Amino acid sequence: MVPALAQFIVLALLIGNFGFQIDKQNAPTIAPGILWLALVFAGLVAFGRTFAAEREQASLEAMLMTPASPVAIFAGKALAASLLLVICEAVLLPALTLFFGTPLSGDVIFAVLLATIGMAALGVMFAAIAARVRARELLLPLLTLPLWIPFVIAGGQAVQSAMGLPGNYQEAIGLLIDFDILFIVLTSLAARFVLDE
Amino acid sequence: MSLVVGNGLTHWFGRELALEGVDLVIDTGEHMAVLGENGAGKTTLLRILATMLKPTSGQLQIAGLDAFKDRRRLRHYLGYVAHATGLYPALTAAENLEFFCDLQEVSRTRVEESLDAVGLASVARRRAGELSRGMQQRLALARAILHEPRLLILDEPDASLGDDAADLLTRLMRDRTVVMATHDHALANRLCQRTLVLRHGRSHGTASRLRVVK
Repeated sequence: MVPALAQFIVLALLIGNFGFQIDKQNAPTIAPGILWLALVFAGLVAFGRTFAAEREQASLEAMLMTPASPVAIFAGKALAASLLLVICEAVLLPALTLFFGTPLSGDVIFAVLLATIGMAALGVMFAAIAARVRARELLLPLLTLPLWIPFVIAGGQAVQSAMGLPGNYQEAIGLLIDFDILFIVLTSLAARFVLDE
Repeated sequence: MSLVVGNGLTHWFGRELALEGVDLVIDTGEHMAVLGENGAGKTTLLRILATMLKPTSGQLQIAGLDAFKDRRRLRHYLGYVAHATGLYPALTAAENLEFFCDLQEVSRTRVEESLDAVGLASVARRRAGELSRGMQQRLALARAILHEPRLLILDEPDASLGDDAADLLTRLMRDRTVVMATHDHALANRLCQRTLVLRHGRSHGTASRLRVVK
């Protein structure tokens, strides 16, 4: 899974690099867009596999038969999916610097990691819902992408200003923290209804 | 003393009636077989008894507790083996059970005991995905008894178990209350004191083992 996602990310950046006329002036404008596109689609693949083992082997039912709380199961899944996304980012961010020549700063990493938290909470919740239906490959992006938009907007703004473009970094980070809190609370409340029959 | 008391258990899947007004009482230590054709409602009834499925209407009490209000508490008492084994194929047999020991909040020493009980001690370090279907079914049974449940709910447990299915199940069912769905009337007669016959989601009453033989 990790090598496949890493390969996908490198290919996405390569296509972005050849698809645009990149120079020193426009790289900070284009690179954040490519970063979020690659991250969103890598995230969809990663979250699509979150409940794959449980779906294929029907082991979610066995897990739910235990006294373990559905919220704890959900949190475990979200943590594992976040870790997978962080590994993707560990490939993505240096590769972005390599292909686009944009600076890799602590501010960029912080913004991307903050967005990962909320994106993972939402991604896992919708993955759990989509795992129960036949058209899951279609349903997961349809449910997830609209609610990831706030993270892409605030995260994009934070990354752009961290790369030297005009914009308020602190304001964007504040928004990301707000979205993280909001979606962690909402998905925790929804977890028991999503996982339980 | 009754361990399970169900009244008017009814379940609809959309517009399809899967179970209609089933009443049942199961005493502590009793073994009850649920018989019926495919689609008769056996699995639906078992999933309701396992508290995995909330009935559209009807009441269910297990060990004096409301099965759906107290279901998290009740899961310490319940062991359930479904159609699908629900194992993680990339984990070894022992690792599968260790994972469920943690979820069931029981000591990992139960892993060896449970594997012994189902005759899988020799394959403890083999991946679940490499085991035969029969061995996987045994592993699912081992997982269901990890926490020493008072009520064991088995959905066609004899499927792919092989010739010694009855002996194995007899050992596992000893000193437990068991509800077991099966197509095998002879096995039901051998292992259970009572049978519940379902047709098109309706109960056609319970019978003693002698009645079933006839």
